Amino acid sequence: MSELSTSRKRVAPIIASVVGALLVAFLWVLVTAEPNTADDADSPLLGQPAPSVVTTTLNDEEFVLANRKGSWVVFNFFNSTCVPCVAEHPELIAFNKRESLAANPAETYTVINDDNDESVRAFFAKNGGDWQKIRDSDGSISVAFGVAKVPETWVIDPNGYVRLRIAGMLTQGLLDDQLAQLKAQFGS
Amino acid sequence: MKSKSVHNKWSWLLLVLSAVALLAFGSTRDSGPRTQADRIDAITKVLACPTCSGESVYVSRASGAESIRAEVARQIAGGQQSDDEIIAYIEARFGSRVLLVPRSTGLDSLIWVLPVFVLICAVGTLGFAFRRWKVVGSDSISVEDAQLVERALREDR
Repeated sequence: MSELSTSRKRVAPIIASVVGALLVAFLWVLVTAEPNTADDADSPLLGQPAPSVVTTTLNDEEFVLANRKGSWVVFNFFNSTCVPCVAEHPELIAFNKRESLAANPAETYTVINDDNDESVRAFFAKNGGDWQKIRDSDGSISVAFGVAKVPETWVIDPNGYVRLRIAGMLTQGLLDDQLAQLKAQFGS
Repeated sequence: MKSKSVHNKWSWLLLVLSAVALLAFGSTRDSGPRTQADRIDAITKVLACPTCSGESVYVSRASGAESIRAEVARQIAGGQQSDDEIIAYIEARFGSRVLLVPRSTGLDSLIWVLPVFVLICAVGTLGFAFRRWKVVGSDSISVEDAQLVERALREDR
């Protein structure tokens, strides 16, 4: 009986230490893990060929993304009732104005997300923005790009590869800086 | 006594095997051809709404979930993709956070393996502990107890 009790006394601290160490390691993983928020700008599409986009513009002209090869393309997923979309609009106009002076200016497109033509026309008539607006009536473009919620801004390089995703509202100069870095890295 | 114990063991084994066989049959049996709506429901039930917390695409009425449901319906209507291929397409766009049921490959497989491993360890440890208690209880007695029994037997004589 005393032998058994001695062996128990020897084994118990070892088991307790192992369980304690496992719990501490588990807590450490939880505490140090990076939070995964919906605004995470990471995407499985980065560095991949852009999804095929064939749709129409608000002026009923055909739009085919593959035909835009040779130009940097900026897709801004937009809804006229979304507050951050409205808030970032002046920044998008300023970006477009600055970009129009560049040697190979990026082409900006508004992708209409879950909104009707009339509301979008009225918004742009009031707030400006003379770039093309493309329809995504069935949501297939949003799903193809993995857009969780608007606004989201995507950049596609002249070879048709997805290079940048900005989830959430554009802040001042953010798109300019990111695009300048991408042009330096992948060629303008 | 021994034959009764062996008989009990076989009964338990038979019971466990029957339960496993019935579960396997129930979970894999073919319930006949599925309609397109059945496939849409089955796929959207395992996809998470990208803008909601803890809701499936099947349940959610958010715009993002509606778009995914429409895409699933379109791909099913196209008739070219299997359910797994459609789920893989959505995952390739939104990332693995869109999966409500984790995959059984890579690091995700730990979610499936760890509970089974812990269960096996727990059952094994319990079995080992019970066996040791039994052995201790039947074979070893303290010196005081032995002396007490010996004294009692002597007095009895």
